[in-house]
Amino acid sequence: MNEIAIGIIAITVTIIIYSLILPIHKKVQSPLTLPIVAVSAIMILALLLFDIPYETYMIGGQWIEFLMGPAVVALALPLYRHYDMLKKYMKPIFAGVTIGAFVGVTTGLFMAKALGFERELILALLPKSVTTPVAISIGETLEGPLSLTAVFVVIAGVSGAIISPVIFKLFKLERPIGRGIGMGSASHAIGTATSMDRDALEGSISSIAMILSAIIVSILAPLCALLFL
Amino acid sequence: MVGVFRIITHIFFLYALLLIGNFLQEVFHLFIPGSVIGMLLLFLLLKMGIIKIKWMEEGTSLLLRHLTLFFIPVTIGFMEYLELFKGKGIFLLLITVISTALVMGVGGAVSEQLAHGKETQHE
Repeated sequence: MNEIAIGIIAITVTIIIYSLILPIHKKVQSPLTLPIVAVSAIMILALLLFDIPYETYMIGGQWIEFLMGPAVVALALPLYRHYDMLKKYMKPIFAGVTIGAFVGVTTGLFMAKALGFERELILALLPKSVTTPVAISIGETLEGPLSLTAVFVVIAGVSGAIISPVIFKLFKLERPIGRGIGMGSASHAIGTATSMDRDALEGSISSIAMILSAIIVSILAPLCALLFL
Repeated sequence: MVGVFRIITHIFFLYALLLIGNFLQEVFHLFIPGSVIGMLLLFLLLKMGIIKIKWMEEGTSLLLRHLTLFFIPVTIGFMEYLELFKGKGIFLLLITVISTALVMGVGGAVSEQLAHGKETQHE
């Protein structure tokens, strides 16, 4: 089969499964039906089953991935739309996100270092709290393994969505501001989507936190790598 | 058909900003990703009124609506790391979950405390 055919099949199959999962997730609302989790899992199983290497899939997959960069630029729009709220809660938002970003980068780094993991693995762990396209860009700057970076991002997103009710109780987060900042700082887009389902204000604050956190972590992660690795 | 063409134009516009962001990153040796620079640039252009939302709204909204789709190929790369999470690698998973819990709890608590304090001051 030639490359173009393989590419078209990879793109088509990915988009078909994605469009099938979307309505299921709307109905079921479980972290396991999140498109990023369900579609990726189905695709991995299919590729393993048919013994197709990741490289072959990426002949088409790279064209979907190509849109990640423009999608990050697109995040300027919600930032612009929520600017009034951002201004009103400027201090608490900045403080919470900055401290959250710092906690995320350093706890990951030091726990992994304490357990003696190699440098490359720790580099992949650093940007885990930010949305995938930014994490990948940070990963490129860090020269870490990109696929693994994306894997930790997904783990941070999904685990955050799952444990959020427990964390809210434990840390007494009762208002949309605390909850939204927590979700966006820790679990990026997956957390924001989960927040949005719960409460519109929590979701909007979470999207602001996600964007701010992306900016702060993209400065913090390379800095911490330089200092501690 | 006109709609599709408009969306493609919008995405190209975002892509142009991404290229400018990448260019600025290289020229000034910034460690902020080019995509984030592009985003900040677009935000500033919107804020200063140089660019109107309607010039890029449809394409931008489309990308934002399907944000997760674009991460799927890179996430599928997980299949190359399945071996890693056997044995000692499972601790990397635990570290990620613990660190995520701490970010959410601490970051959220700081914001809520400060916002709450501010409200009581005004009341």
